[in-house]
Amino acid sequence: MGRPAAATRPGRRRGRFEHWFYLSPALVVLAALLVYPLYQLVLVSLYDYRQAQVSGAQPLRFIGFDNYATLLGDPRFWGVLGNTVVFAAACVVGTLLVGGALAVLATRLRPWVRTVLFLTALGAWATPAVTGSAVWLFLFDPTLGLVNQVLVGVGLEGFAGHSWTYEKWSAFGLVGAEVIWCSFPFVMVTLYAGITSIPEEVVEAARLDGASTLRIAHSIMLPMLRPVLAIVTIQSIIWDFKIFTQIYIMTGGGGISGQNMVLNVYGYQQAFAASQYGLGSAIGVITSLLLLAITLVYLRALRRNGEVL
Amino acid sequence: MRTATTGRPRQRRRWGWENWVIGAGIALLLLYCLAPFYWMVVSSLKGPGEIASNSLWPRDPTLVNYRGVLGGRDHFGYAVRNSVVIAVTTTLLAMVIAVFSGYALARLRFRGRNLVLALILACSMFPGVAIVTPLYQLFADWGWIDEYQAMIVPNISFALPLAIFVLTTFFREMPWELEEAARVDGCGPFGAFGRIILPLAAPGVVTTGLLVFFAAWNEYLISSVVSITLASNPVTVAIAKFAGDSEFQQPFGSQMAAGVIVTLPLVVLVLLFQRRIVKGLSAGGFR
Repeated sequence: MGRPAAATRPGRRRGRFEHWFYLSPALVVLAALLVYPLYQLVLVSLYDYRQAQVSGAQPLRFIGFDNYATLLGDPRFWGVLGNTVVFAAACVVGTLLVGGALAVLATRLRPWVRTVLFLTALGAWATPAVTGSAVWLFLFDPTLGLVNQVLVGVGLEGFAGHSWTYEKWSAFGLVGAEVIWCSFPFVMVTLYAGITSIPEEVVEAARLDGASTLRIAHSIMLPMLRPVLAIVTIQSIIWDFKIFTQIYIMTGGGGISGQNMVLNVYGYQQAFAASQYGLGSAIGVITSLLLLAITLVYLRALRRNGEVL
Repeated sequence: MRTATTGRPRQRRRWGWENWVIGAGIALLLLYCLAPFYWMVVSSLKGPGEIASNSLWPRDPTLVNYRGVLGGRDHFGYAVRNSVVIAVTTTLLAMVIAVFSGYALARLRFRGRNLVLALILACSMFPGVAIVTPLYQLFADWGWIDEYQAMIVPNISFALPLAIFVLTTFFREMPWELEEAARVDGCGPFGAFGRIILPLAAPGVVTTGLLVFFAAWNEYLISSVVSITLASNPVTVAIAKFAGDSEFQQPFGSQMAAGVIVTLPLVVLVLLFQRRIVKGLSAGGFR
């Protein structure tokens, strides 16, 4: 008898498992396409798994952590890890500087100028990485590129036929310019929203008390923006750590003799070009663990910021 | 009086100096934002004889690159069709799934809700490269290689975490008392949600949908592995391919024309939905 009574109070007493009903499609998709492949990845990384094993010429052999030992003992791996960290760090700093500067500028611009700025930025953001890479390569092409011709035109003869992708850090710089180009809009837009949400009265009060612009920026704006800044920074770190398309395309799969490899491209090359599936998987696992650590920091920052979590 | 009159010009001069710096900064950054775009459009309109000349506008504008890309041996029209099918299907399916989850996470109170949201969000950090090998093997077993679903399904799983997160943020701000009221008045659970909440949440849903569409349209890594032939190649793979078949000269003209074709729909969407995209970007974080 109690049950019909409960049914007449719609919306109040809801099934204890209703939320699982709504969540199940997403959880099933995520489990099937992210969690299961990750489980496979870890598994494969523990095996000696190469072309011979795929074709069945040799049996699969469990080798425990040998793949990891091979990697950690290989100076090449450490070089690639160093590249990844330096490249990601430079991209993050560049993105934050460009995005932050433009966000501050945007607050001081006339509305129509601001709209133009936002539109161009969103245009760069919307450009597919493949297209962006192609355009930037064309701009910096040794013989046909606009940049070299302009440089020669202003008297810098040394840039005639200069290849920007030949030297390691010059190639990284070119890729970084493209990466920052398509990622600063996110930082700019988010920081702009953060700055405009600072109450006008607070800034005004400080100004009346005689605080300088620098002092206001340092003592009022920065502390209030800190949570947003933390999120934007960590998001950028996660993204720039995962850069694949731009490096793969702009340096032709990792640069001359692999000088521009980052972890992602290295793992991809080991698996698909060298058919070292076990080793490639181990690289994938290590990359995932590093990103997991960064993500935990991210989630904590979100929590502190009072977001939906 | 004197301090007032001397103070004024000084203040004005300081503003002038600031404006100059701001102006120069904006000019540089706009150049940085715009030059690649501009160069892509201009170069796509130059014929083969002119592409090497660095004139800032096409002397003799021609559509030969576009004709070559869409009609020639590159068969770029197929790629556009494939990308439209893949991105639209991805967006529709991902949004249906994400709306359900966002509803549960924003509306229902249950134990472990924050943990579920955190776990879903954490899924967004995994590098595509890490799961591309296992996915390839899985799809090879299922006979999915070179089929649309081999790209649609991973796209959905990549888009879901952030779509759910952004939607949950949007749904939190909805007036749920209205839904409750509609239920009391006899609407079923789906009716109440569909008639009251969904129309109110439409801006948020559209924004999230756009972000998912952009991500799917731009996806390259998974597609480059599971899509082999022209029949299924999306635009990103197609462009990278004819970037690669290098003869003595890179086919810059056709590359730029293809770039314009691929970017144009996105730029139109950005123009139409600028405000909403800005809101969605600052709510979640897509790239």
